Amino acid sequence: MIPGRQRPVAFERSGARIRIRLGSEERDLIVGLADQFRSVLTDDDDPSLRRLYPTAYPDDAEQATEYESLVHDDLVRSQLTAVDTVESTVRADSIDPDELASWMGMLNGLRLLLGTRLDICEDDEFDPDAPDAPSRALLAWLGLLLEEAVAAATAYLPERSDA
Amino acid sequence: MTPGPVPVEVDEPGIGHDEATDVDRPWIVLVWNDPINLMSYVSFVFQKLFGYSTAKADRLMLDVHDKGRAVVANGAREKAELDVFRLHEHGLWATMQQDD
Repeated sequence: MIPGRQRPVAFERSGARIRIRLGSEERDLIVGLADQFRSVLTDDDDPSLRRLYPTAYPDDAEQATEYESLVHDDLVRSQLTAVDTVESTVRADSIDPDELASWMGMLNGLRLLLGTRLDICEDDEFDPDAPDAPSRALLAWLGLLLEEAVAAATAYLPERSDA
Repeated sequence: MTPGPVPVEVDEPGIGHDEATDVDRPWIVLVWNDPINLMSYVSFVFQKLFGYSTAKADRLMLDVHDKGRAVVANGAREKAELDVFRLHEHGLWATMQQDD
């Protein structure tokens, strides 16, 4: 899904914890993104947030409104909590699985926001000369981090069966 | 992504209404394809939330990707709505409807 790279895996399982292998520039970038993401979440009026709060009942406006009034604040709070956790652990050498889940939540939330703003399509090809190339590169980088976080987090899933 | 408060108090449709016979019709939870979410992440969320095996989660994820949507859970309205909420909390595009 995402091409290989020549750098250490960002999230590496190490016993009960997950080692974060990011450089200081990458961590600085994450701090900046977390801060911007919090602002957008808190203002709560950016139409590009719509993908974070889908409608549950597409065919029933009344139920859809009721559902939204019930869960919207919880969904915002959940994202803000994830941002807080990332900010408080962004300089850490390692995090626990719950903190990794928060990192994944923020990485995915940011991707939804950015991807909606960019109006991306599945078959888009990267054009380094396009005016939105920096944002698309950022989206790809966030995807790479998320991909590596998923790989690390999978190890902590409980035993499963399809019974 | 940390589990937040969940909506446990929901109105049951049909109760006290004319369509009381609809109460027994199960609800299905659908996840729709979108161009942003990573395939690996979607499969991971199915495993985490529903306890599905990697094989089953991957199959559902590929259904979403190839067919545009997949039924990932079903049950009473309250349970379906909770499932939808948890999927939304994880950034997936989920909806629910009563099964035909």
